[in-house]
Amino acid sequence: MKRLLLIRGAELALFALLATVPLLVANAYALALLTLLAIYGILLIGLDVTVGYLGQINLGHVAFLGLGAYAAGIGVTRFGLGMPSALAAATAVGLVLGSLLALPALRLEGPQFALATLSFTALSFTFLNEMEGLTGGAQGLSLTRPPLFGHDLSPQGFYWLCTVLLACVWMIMRNLLSSQWGRAIEALRDSPIATDAMGVGVYRHKVAAFALGSALGGLAGGLYAFNFQYLQPQSFVYDLMVILLMGVVLGGRKSLWGAFVGASIVVLLPNLLSNRLIFQAVSGLGLLMALVSGIRGLLRKTTRPFQALAPIVSMGLLVGGGLLVANTEDWRKGIFALMLFSVVVGLPEGLMGFAARFLVRLFRVAPAPLPAPSSLDEVLPSRPADGSTLLELIDLKRHFGGVKAVDGLSMTVRSGQIHGLIGPNGSGKSTVVNVISGLYPPSSGRMLLRGKPLPLGSLYRAARSGVARTFQNLQLFSELTAIENVLVALNGVYRSPLPLVLLGMARAEERHARADALALLELMGLKDQARTKAKDLTYGAQRFLEIARALARRPDLLILDEPAAGLAHPDVLQLIETIRRVHQRGISIILIEHHMDVVSELCTVVTVLDGGRVIAEGSPEDVKRHPKVVEAYLGQTDRDREAAAPDAPPLPA
Amino acid sequence: MKHHVVLGTLLMAALGIQAQGTVKIAITGPFTGGSAPMGASMRDGAKLAIAEINAAGGIQVGGKKMKIVAIERDDEAKNERGALIAQELAAMGDLSGVIGTVNTGVCMAGDRHLQEKGITKIITPAAGSASMTQWSKAGVKDLSIFRFAADDGIQTAMVVEEAINRKFTKVAIIYDSTNYGVSGRDDLLDQIRKQGNRLQVVAQEKFNIGDKDMTAQLLRAKAGGAQALLIWGIGPELAAVSNGEAKIGMKAPLIGGWTLSMSNFIDNAGKNGNGTLMPETFIEDPITPKAKAFIEGYHRTFNVGRIPSPVSAAQGYDAVYLFAAAVKQAQSTDTHRIKGALENLKEPVHGVIATWNHPFSKWNPANEQTHEAFRRDQVVMGMVMDGRVVFANAADKARLIKAASGKGK
Amino acid sequence: MNLQIIGQMAVSGALMGMVYALIAYGFQLTYATSKSINFGQGELVMVSAFFSLTLLDLGVPFWLMVPGGLVFGALLGLLVERAGVRLALEEKSEGWVLLTIIIGLFFFSAAENIWGRDDRPFPSPFSPDSVQVFGVDITRQEIAVAVGVLAIMGLIEIFKRRTLLGKAFEAVSADRDAAELMGISATRTVMLSYALSGGVAAVAGILVSPITTVGPTMASALILKAFSVAVVAGLDSGFGVVLIGMALGALESLASFYIGSGWREAPGLMLLILALAVRPTGVFGKAGIRKV
Repeated sequence: MKRLLLIRGAELALFALLATVPLLVANAYALALLTLLAIYGILLIGLDVTVGYLGQINLGHVAFLGLGAYAAGIGVTRFGLGMPSALAAATAVGLVLGSLLALPALRLEGPQFALATLSFTALSFTFLNEMEGLTGGAQGLSLTRPPLFGHDLSPQGFYWLCTVLLACVWMIMRNLLSSQWGRAIEALRDSPIATDAMGVGVYRHKVAAFALGSALGGLAGGLYAFNFQYLQPQSFVYDLMVILLMGVVLGGRKSLWGAFVGASIVVLLPNLLSNRLIFQAVSGLGLLMALVSGIRGLLRKTTRPFQALAPIVSMGLLVGGGLLVANTEDWRKGIFALMLFSVVVGLPEGLMGFAARFLVRLFRVAPAPLPAPSSLDEVLPSRPADGSTLLELIDLKRHFGGVKAVDGLSMTVRSGQIHGLIGPNGSGKSTVVNVISGLYPPSSGRMLLRGKPLPLGSLYRAARSGVARTFQNLQLFSELTAIENVLVALNGVYRSPLPLVLLGMARAEERHARADALALLELMGLKDQARTKAKDLTYGAQRFLEIARALARRPDLLILDEPAAGLAHPDVLQLIETIRRVHQRGISIILIEHHMDVVSELCTVVTVLDGGRVIAEGSPEDVKRHPKVVEAYLGQTDRDREAAAPDAPPLPA
Repeated sequence: MKHHVVLGTLLMAALGIQAQGTVKIAITGPFTGGSAPMGASMRDGAKLAIAEINAAGGIQVGGKKMKIVAIERDDEAKNERGALIAQELAAMGDLSGVIGTVNTGVCMAGDRHLQEKGITKIITPAAGSASMTQWSKAGVKDLSIFRFAADDGIQTAMVVEEAINRKFTKVAIIYDSTNYGVSGRDDLLDQIRKQGNRLQVVAQEKFNIGDKDMTAQLLRAKAGGAQALLIWGIGPELAAVSNGEAKIGMKAPLIGGWTLSMSNFIDNAGKNGNGTLMPETFIEDPITPKAKAFIEGYHRTFNVGRIPSPVSAAQGYDAVYLFAAAVKQAQSTDTHRIKGALENLKEPVHGVIATWNHPFSKWNPANEQTHEAFRRDQVVMGMVMDGRVVFANAADKARLIKAASGKGK
Repeated sequence: MNLQIIGQMAVSGALMGMVYALIAYGFQLTYATSKSINFGQGELVMVSAFFSLTLLDLGVPFWLMVPGGLVFGALLGLLVERAGVRLALEEKSEGWVLLTIIIGLFFFSAAENIWGRDDRPFPSPFSPDSVQVFGVDITRQEIAVAVGVLAIMGLIEIFKRRTLLGKAFEAVSADRDAAELMGISATRTVMLSYALSGGVAAVAGILVSPITTVGPTMASALILKAFSVAVVAGLDSGFGVVLIGMALGALESLASFYIGSGWREAPGLMLLILALAVRPTGVFGKAGIRKV
């Protein structure tokens, strides 16, 4: 509670301060800077959605700023729109074009995503520049700020409008990003495959996130148009984009405060640096800070030598150079570069990331307590195990080029069983799992779940129809905490429509979800590590977290892909115990495993694969004695298998 | 004690308060980035004039000599920066005036803030028509913005006239995709119409800043049978056009704006640039003693062998002298009174470009010429010849020398 | 329109595309070993070109200037690696994106103040006159660019295949962890790739300068094109960049002629987004299969 109060209090204080500045300071220039700050605040919050939460280098945001600005400008000059409708038009343009760009950009990541968005920026520049009839082309578009509900806005009035909009955007984004939506967006950054496999649509969330960020870009564009009242296409190009990107990273990613601080830097710094005295004060202070924190870090060995020394050298260059150079205005780009370099190297989490850690220590804020876990009966109600046919695979084939990983496999999994799937390396176990769970479509054959065809080749739709799985090579959302990992997958709790979520009226639901998630963590023995980031858990704990997350889907069929791989012996025992408890709740399980003791201990039926075909099926005791099984495991003479499993790359392990 | 003095001075400097008895002016323009050759030349020309005036003791105002203090602001050729700088300057209580701006877009974005506060600004060397016509279109009654550059209207008129005089009938218009290039294209088309449609425009071709391969544009012009290329753009891209012509064996001369006289065109086009024609306000040729002193002073002070943009430098230089004359006549550092004096300068000002007699008059929204200093006869036609700009017409040179010796001191 | 004009434009555009390709090749070199690229590569091209020009001004003969510029570019590449990339790679973060941009910005500012803001001509031993090949005008300078681009890329490919150091480079590119287990230092190999990439940037600067002139902004337009070429061809495509570079250059020329010079870049950009949507790893890139 204290933490929440502090955070809300700080937000309130910030906006109260922003709102009163025009009453205290009569300087028109200060007001102009603050107005731009509010506009850029909105812009960078939008950019942070892709850069911070989606983790992609988005070079297209500046295009949405420009397109939004022109939408508002043309709306006012051509169609006589009022301010509210012009701003709505600007936002809509961002939203619609953002969703359109998301379609091709969806499949891309890293440099490819950066290039696709960069190309969009260049295209929109060409469009704005060439459509002279509509936009005025390179000669620009002059407009006058329309009245707001019949009142002409003074510079103060316009500033307040921008601040109010910033506050609204802030509130909405806070609610959204701390909701299931925000978690889903972060999840798909860490592992798109697992996000799909948990029934959270990567596609839907990526498009939504990108479109939302772009809509904010458009809104900021509308305000930009009314602020400057003169638009030229050349303003909205790569140069500005780089500055925006720096703002987000310097301020601190994945943080509203970070976006705001970033906006302050990019708006204020270049304009203040023109004043030589401020420049010298800032650079001197910077050197001092770099020295203090660098030496401290070195002595305590908390920072790497480079991280400590590089900011000192660069700030030293700045101070020394500042004394030598006659005209600092000539070097403004270099000065900006040196300052940014120091911050990016010295504070990789951005200013707010750094400040947050510092403030938490200063105020000793404890995180909000977790709710009591829900009863397990509520989270995973017991189901009758009637032994009816649950999953049926009929003549399933999956070929990779010439490699027949699965070659005409038929098997039946009955409800309430733990069905073991074993076989030597390369026998096709994992491929079967990947085909059932929708990672790969089958080359041919049929799959029925409770008699209905299972969706083919879509992790997302397979998950939605009741199949949940874990991954042999862990696919956790590594930046999220354990409880958040489970929350992302939690099925059937989140029902509130998006508008309520945006207004922050879905809190009760969220509390309920947390209690449910905690119950699952307790089942796996992870309750005490609920707040630990997944990447910081021990390897064993990560394996258990995968199972907890899959259970959150409340699946009909749970597929465990080598859950014991790499586990120490005590953990294996715990695993057996845990799986048994899950099974007792009536959940059907397919267990792929190398450890024969785990299989013997748990499974009622075991299917043995070799060369992509079933070679034996029966109780664990029966198949162990089956001659073909003995041959497959011990004898390496089977010619078929050698042909079927060469060390070809596409065969996933 | 000493610390207090230092602190006090620092504080005053920080708040932008200058010691009494100075005239504070701002010089703005792009000093970094692609337009910097013009911005920095203009700034350095202005600083040279300020240094000369201050070395002579300053401007005589009310019985004492006041020195000029210049603050510099780099607008990076960005409208957004330009608007913020204008707002910063407008909020300074003690600013006497502003000189500068290279990019017409920056004028469009920023000047309204200065005009609102009535702060006197002399635009130089931005030449785009829109930076002055925006005020006549808006019907502004009292304007504090002046221009000290041969506007595109004059320049395009001369370019079209030159093409007609040289008996060309088919031309191509080639222009860059910025505000400067596009408004130049419009002015050229307008002038061709005004001068009786005696030129047939066979192609209108655009290029982007940074383009180096102009083959497609030139082939279109060539296919249309263009005898001359009327060109509006900046520096290196113009050289790329010239060199591209040589490559495909095209001989049509370039005729265009004064930017063709910049060294980044002349040097980079080499002998391919010979015969290129452009209207000019100043040629880096020491034909008069004043010009000689200016050119040598610039070379010495800024340690260069050649002025990157002589036109910008000379205009920056003369603009400061005009401004100083207005301060002296107004007997005040108040920007409104300086505006009044500029509109009615009683004494001629001996500049490096010309001797300025009553360059501006009371603003009349129906006639932008009232706040434009340059007339047709202050502009001459220059031609590139073996790496230098020379007078295209001997008569122009003679006229300028005569004017300088007749009216000079 | 007759074939000769189309040929002229395609060839002129394609030759410009060779320059994109060479800079794109510099991106590939560092991406192969470290999955990072230098977003300030354009400034490396520019600063190396200025440095080479200074060498010429100091009276250094042409044949000595080229290796001089190359070494200078390689040193700058090493500086970028040390100051901008290594830390981020060690922390597995994407900090290199911003740091390389920032270092580029600093180089830009330094160049403006050291060498001036103006564009300057770069002398060339080749005459600017054009020769006719099948009715298409090509300058000797352009031929030199084409030959130079292919030569430097060929040399580096031979180096990678024939020398021990080059094989280490290939090993780290193929599998960084496995290479480290074999006793190959990945850090050193990344340094090598940045040095090579810097050298390639310098050569690109020297080759292209007589055409583009030398100025602080000379490479800002080139670099975005080169980035496009590298990604569309595939960041591991090797000589694929040459084909894509030439195709993009020719396409721009033709679009300029047929659609209108203002729309010069539009078809290329749209094709680019589509190409990426269809083949995310690039036209000549190795398509990967989703693995878990």
